[in-house]
Amino acid sequence: MTTPADRHLLAMHRSEAAVSVELQTEDMVLNIGPQHPSTHGVLRLVATVAGERVRSVQPVMGYMHRGYEKLAEVRTYAQITALVNRIDWVSGFANEIPFIVAAERLMGVEAPERAQHIRLILTEMFRISNHLIFLCSFPAELGAPTPLMYALRERERVLDLIEGVTGGRFHPNFNRIGGVKPAAGGGSTQRTRVQDLPKGFIEGTRRAMTAVRHVCDDLENLVLGNEIVQQRTIGIGVLPADKAVEYAMSGPNLRASGVPFDLRKVEDYLPYDRFDFDVVTMPNGDNYDRCRVRLEEIRQSARIIEQAVDSLPGGPLQTKVPRVIKVPKGECYVRAENPKGEMGYHIVSGGGRRPYRVKIRSASFCNLQVLPWLLEGALIPDVIAILGSLDFVLGDVDR
Amino acid sequence: MSLLDNVWVVLAVKLGLAVVILFALALVVMFAELKVSAHMQHRIGPYFAGGRWGWAQVFAEALKFLQKEDLIPRDADAPVFRLAPMVSLLGTFAVIVIIPLSPVLVAGDLDVGIFYALAAGSVSTIALLMAGWSSGNKYSLIGGLRAGAQLIAYELPLVLAVVGVVIQAGTMSMVGITEAQAQPLFHIGSVGISLPYALQGQVIGFVIFMIAALAELVRIPFDMPIAESELVMGYLTEYSGIRFTMFLLGEYAGMLAMSAIASVLFLGGYHFWGLNADWFGPFVLIGKALILVFVMIWFRWTWPRLREDQLQSLAWRWLVPLALANIAVTATLKVVL
Amino acid sequence: MSEPEPPATPVPDPETPSAETPPSRAAHWAALVGSAEWADVFRTSKVRVPRERWVEAHRALQPHLPFFAWLSVIDWSNEVAVGDPLEGDPVEERCEVISRLSDVSAGEAVILSTDLPPDDLTIDSLAGVYTAADWHEREAADMFGITFVGHPNPVRIYLSEGFVGHPLRKSYPLLSREVKPWPGAVEVTPLPAAEGAPGEGKEGGA
Repeated sequence: MTTPADRHLLAMHRSEAAVSVELQTEDMVLNIGPQHPSTHGVLRLVATVAGERVRSVQPVMGYMHRGYEKLAEVRTYAQITALVNRIDWVSGFANEIPFIVAAERLMGVEAPERAQHIRLILTEMFRISNHLIFLCSFPAELGAPTPLMYALRERERVLDLIEGVTGGRFHPNFNRIGGVKPAAGGGSTQRTRVQDLPKGFIEGTRRAMTAVRHVCDDLENLVLGNEIVQQRTIGIGVLPADKAVEYAMSGPNLRASGVPFDLRKVEDYLPYDRFDFDVVTMPNGDNYDRCRVRLEEIRQSARIIEQAVDSLPGGPLQTKVPRVIKVPKGECYVRAENPKGEMGYHIVSGGGRRPYRVKIRSASFCNLQVLPWLLEGALIPDVIAILGSLDFVLGDVDR
Repeated sequence: MSLLDNVWVVLAVKLGLAVVILFALALVVMFAELKVSAHMQHRIGPYFAGGRWGWAQVFAEALKFLQKEDLIPRDADAPVFRLAPMVSLLGTFAVIVIIPLSPVLVAGDLDVGIFYALAAGSVSTIALLMAGWSSGNKYSLIGGLRAGAQLIAYELPLVLAVVGVVIQAGTMSMVGITEAQAQPLFHIGSVGISLPYALQGQVIGFVIFMIAALAELVRIPFDMPIAESELVMGYLTEYSGIRFTMFLLGEYAGMLAMSAIASVLFLGGYHFWGLNADWFGPFVLIGKALILVFVMIWFRWTWPRLREDQLQSLAWRWLVPLALANIAVTATLKVVL
Repeated sequence: MSEPEPPATPVPDPETPSAETPPSRAAHWAALVGSAEWADVFRTSKVRVPRERWVEAHRALQPHLPFFAWLSVIDWSNEVAVGDPLEGDPVEERCEVISRLSDVSAGEAVILSTDLPPDDLTIDSLAGVYTAADWHEREAADMFGITFVGHPNPVRIYLSEGFVGHPLRKSYPLLSREVKPWPGAVEVTPLPAAEGAPGEGKEGGA
C-alpha cells in the first residue's frame, strides 16, 4: 500500500522519466484480416509494418477449414462429388473433374465422347466465369469499382448457359462416375426422360462467347489501359520464374512469370488435344502480367468453347455403371488445370462404397506459400494489390 | 429601426440561409452521385424509394443514419472523437460565406474573399487527423496520417492555382473576380465578348485547382486515407450514425463548395452572356457548379486510386512547379499587356 | 533387378502392359533414387524408399523434378472409427508418407512414399530440399501428428491452438455421427408404380 509520501515520490520519478526518455519507434503489428474487405475470405495476415512498409508477414489460415478430407472418408463417391464443388467455390464444376476422372480410372471405365465434350465445355465456361470474377475484384481492390459491374454482366450470360445445362449456377454437381448427369425433369410417375443439352444451347453459347470477347476488349481498355492501374501494378509483386517453381505456384500465376506450363496440354483428363488454343505466358511476373494472363485466357477459353460446340459428337451421356458404385482397391492421382492452378485428388480406395483416403491438392493453398517472400518490403496498398492478383479463395486454401 | 437594419440579425439570416441552401444542395449532390454512378455502371440506382425514380432514397438514408446507435469504441479518445466531425463541417461551412450567388446575394463579400476561404477551409485537415488518431484503431491511424500528409501536400497547388486568378483579376474579393471576368475582352460590332478565366489563359490553373480540390476532398483517385478496400474506411472506420452523416454531408457539401469556388474563379461565376445577373445569377452559378460536380463523380467511378507515394510525387514534383510557372507567366503577361 | 511390386495395392494394373508399352517411368525414377520398389498402376508412378533415405531420395530427384506438388499421409489401419474399413486381408498398420514431385515442362511426375511405424511417427523434414514442402508438412503434422525433424516453423496451420487430437487419423471419430447415425436411406426401394424400369443402367451411384 502506497503512502502519500510514496505517491509523491513516484510522481516525481515519472515526470523526470518523461522528460528524459528518448523518442523510440517500434514496428506496428497490424492484423490484415480475418475480417477484411480484400482478403478473399477469412485469411489473416499478421503483418509487422514500419509506417507503410511491411517488414514481415505471417499468414494464418484455418478459419474456414471444413474437414473435406475427413468428410470424404464418410461419404460415397456421388456425395463427395456434390461436396467437392465447394472447395474452390468460384469454379465449381472444375473441382469435380479430377475427382471423377480418378474414380473412373480406378474403376476402369471411361466417359463417352459426348460426355467428355460437355465436361470440357462446362469447365471452360467456369474458367471464363472465374477469370471474370478476378477482373471484377482486382480493380475493385485498386479502387476502381466500375469494371466489377461490366465483368459481372457478361458473367451472367455464361452462368445462364450453365444453369440451362446443369440446373445450378455455381455448384452444378453435374458429373457422375462414367459421364455426366443424364436425366432431368419428369416426376415420379412419368418415365424419366434422358434429357440432353437444352434447346438453343449451341446458338446461345455462340452469342455468349461473342459478348464475352467484347467485354474482354472493353476491360482491356478500361482496366489494363488505365495509367493509374499501370502505375499501381507494373513492377509490383514481381515473382521470377525460378522462385515461382520453387514455391510450387501453378496456373496463371506460374504462366505470368514466364513458365509456359499448362496442364491442359500435358494431361489427358479431358480431350483438350482435339482443340486449338494457346498457352498464355507473360514475361515479367508482376501484378500487371497476372492480370493480362487471365484476360487472355478468357479469350482462349472462348476459342475452345466455340470449337467444342461446333464439333459436339452424338452418343450417350454416361457409360453403364452399376447402381451402387463400389470402387476396387487402388490408388490413383489425377490433376487438372483448375482456373486457379493445379488441382488434384489422390484417391486411395479400400474397395468399398466410400474411399479410404482422399488427398485434395488445392491450388490456392500451394500458391499462398510464396506470400512471406513476396510481401516482404511491400507497401500496404501493394500488399492488397498483390493479394488480389494472386487470385485465391479461402475455400481452396482451407478446404 | 426595423429588425433588418440590425447588422447581426442580417448576418445571422444570411448565414442560416446559406447553410440551408448548402445542405439542400448537398443532398442533391448525394442523389446525383447515386444515380450518375449507377448509369455509368449499367445499373439503375435507387428505384423504389420515391415513385420509380428514387428521389426519396436520400431522405431514407439520412433517416436511417439518424436512428443508429451512438457507438464510441472503448479505446477511443471520446472528446476528440466527438469533436472531429463538427470541426470538419465547420471547415466546409466557413467556405460558403464568400460564394456569390449574384452580385448582392452573398453572405459576406469580404475584400480578402478567396484568401479567407482557403484559410478557413483548411481547418478540416485537423479534423481528419483528429478522427484518425482518436479512433483507437490501427487502420484509422494509418488513414489519418495518410490524410494529414495528403492534405498538407495538396494545399500548396490549390493556393498557387488561385494566385494566378487573383493576379489577373487584381482583387481577392469573389464578386470582384466575377465582375473582372464579366468585362468584355473584345468587341464584335457593338457586342462585347467576355471570356471566363479558364479560356483567358488560366486553363492550367483550372486543371491544377480541380486536381487539388479532388485531393482536398479525399475523393478517388486521391482517397488513400479512406481506401475502402485496404483500410476499411480509414479514418472513418469507427464512425457510424449521425457522426458519419456529418462527415458524409461534409464531403458532399465540400464538393459543391469547391465546385462553386472553381466556377467563380475560372468559369465566370454568376455571369452568363446575355442573362441578367440579378435574376439568373444563382441558377447560372449553381448550374456551373453542378457540372463540375458531375465531372468529379465521373472521375470517382472511373479511376482506381493512386498510391500514397505516387500521390505525393504528383503534388510535389508536378503540380507545384506547374503552378509556380503559371504564376510567373500570368504575372509577366499582366504587366506586359 | 527391379520387380514390379505394388506397395499396398494388390490389384494389378487394369491397363495390362503389352509389348508396345514404353518402359515404365516409375522404373526410371526408381533407378535415379536407388530404390528397388516401384509401381505404375492406374497411370500413377510410385516409388518406395526407406525412411532413412527420404531426404536423400528427394535431393536426387530435385534437379529433374523441381515442382513439389504435395505431401500427405495415408493412415493404414485395420480398424477405423468412421467410414469403410479396408476390404480383404488385414494390412500392416503404419503411416505412409507420400510426396509428389513433378516438372514444369513435359508433365513427368512421381510419387515417393515411405512408411512410418505407428509407434514412431518422426521423419526428416524436406524443407531444406524443397521450399514448397513447408506448409504441407505443417498440415500433415497437424492432421496426423507426425513430427518433421528440422522443420523451420513447426506451428499448427489449420487447427486452433487448444485443439487436442489429430483428426485425420483413422482412430479419430466424428462426434456428430456418434450422437446421431446417418439418417439417409442406404438401400433404394423401387418406386411402386414405375413399370418401365426408369433408365436402367443409366443412373449410377447411390
